[in-house]
Amino acid sequence: MTREEIIKTVDDALIKEFELEPEKMKPEANFFADLGLDSLDAVDMVIVLEQAFKVKIRTNYQVGKIMTLKDLYDYIEELVKQQEQLTEQQNA
Amino acid sequence: MSLHSNRKRVVITGAGAISPYGAGISLLAENMLAGNSSVLFNEELAQIADVSSRVSSTVPPMDFSHIPRQFRRSMSKMSLYAAAAVKEALANAGFEKAPEGTSLYLGSTISAMETWIDFVGKYQRKEFDTIKTSVVFQVMNHSPLANIAQAFDINGQGFGICTACATSLINIGCAYQAIAGGFTESALCGGTDEYHPIMTACFSIMNAASNNFNDVPQKASRPFDASRCGIVCGEGCGVLFMESLESALKRNAEIYGEIIGFGTNTETKSISHPSRECISKCMTFALKDAGIEPSGIDFINAHATSTLAGDIEESKAIQNIFGADITVNSLKGHIGHTMAASGALELIATLDMANRGECAATINLDKIDNACEGINHLTQKQKLEVGTFMKNSFALGGTNCSLIVKKYE
Repeated sequence: MTREEIIKTVDDALIKEFELEPEKMKPEANFFADLGLDSLDAVDMVIVLEQAFKVKIRTNYQVGKIMTLKDLYDYIEELVKQQEQLTEQQNA
Repeated sequence: MSLHSNRKRVVITGAGAISPYGAGISLLAENMLAGNSSVLFNEELAQIADVSSRVSSTVPPMDFSHIPRQFRRSMSKMSLYAAAAVKEALANAGFEKAPEGTSLYLGSTISAMETWIDFVGKYQRKEFDTIKTSVVFQVMNHSPLANIAQAFDINGQGFGICTACATSLINIGCAYQAIAGGFTESALCGGTDEYHPIMTACFSIMNAASNNFNDVPQKASRPFDASRCGIVCGEGCGVLFMESLESALKRNAEIYGEIIGFGTNTETKSISHPSRECISKCMTFALKDAGIEPSGIDFINAHATSTLAGDIEESKAIQNIFGADITVNSLKGHIGHTMAASGALELIATLDMANRGECAATINLDKIDNACEGINHLTQKQKLEVGTFMKNSFALGGTNCSLIVKKYE
């Protein structure tokens, strides 16, 4: 999965779930200050992304450090990469 | 000096309604006076084996997207209905937002069934980690209360009294007592419910769901009629804005009516069947609270749900207290039993009719059941001078309520 694909999947999922305005989906956008989300949304965001990427997120403590969309893109990109490597190893 | 002599007068200055006719209080009396039934065939019920009732009375689809997402996310349909009704009640009372310190008395019968079923299904399939946080706030027993308080910043007392079919009337009665006693200056109060086929199934289990008129749904709910065969379940929300008379006069508010008496008691002889003795006592408590004799009541809007036993007991209790001349109707022939909303919706409609000077008939009352005779059933809509009326609500589980409303003078 390319970074562009990851960004599009994240943006699409969050826009739909939280009824966000697409023009606000900028990498530097802070979830709380710029996108107007709160702590309950943060929990629900994990569920939405787990379903969108078919990965497990909520057990990872690094999630708490994610504050902006860029943080999230980076985190998901790393997670997807690990997942892809694991799948390759299992198929080898 | 008694509490009675010290208490404040309590008036109704706003109302909001979401009913099977749609959104708005004016739709209630208009449709009822026109004799319109909102009962329809329910396809989903037809899919449930062993449930012979196939009719329901539901709110037409509505758009709630104007409610901000942070409030809407924790609202199931019953809270969405309540949000629309509260907005109307506040506007009707002349407010853009709830006055500081307004209290909220709002309940429902059972929780948001559709949300619960989805929730439990995920739990049973071990998909609990897919449940979003907002679901929890949709299925709390006091979800409508919590959601409406948040969405409208209603920061006074909050009571989410849930007593099945008497829910809205007991919330109105308790709000009346709180205002009369000086514990709060104003209150939004009522009940709300969302329909789920399980509701009909529950009454079907008790042989109390209407099942002989599935092919003519508009005839299915027929209070006091000889061929009645049970309840038609419905949904909706009814809310009143009430305040002390001095508060209403101070802000020059339009006053729609005054609550002068409230009675409530509990049936302990049966969890499902109200008795004429207990209903009689309940109505007597309300009369005593109002300080009037039975002759002071011009009209009674009965609870009468179209069940075999309940309609008889209420008829006999009314006859016992008020005699044969008292004029009585039930509005459940029109909109079925809107559960937690029923007391408030029917009260709003009756108040509107009293102010119009014309009362709707009990529809589908083609042949009065002999056992329900002995009172003056309204079988045709009629011009009536109604100065003071009583509204009854009785619940499964035994809660009885009677409220007395007077035209403001």
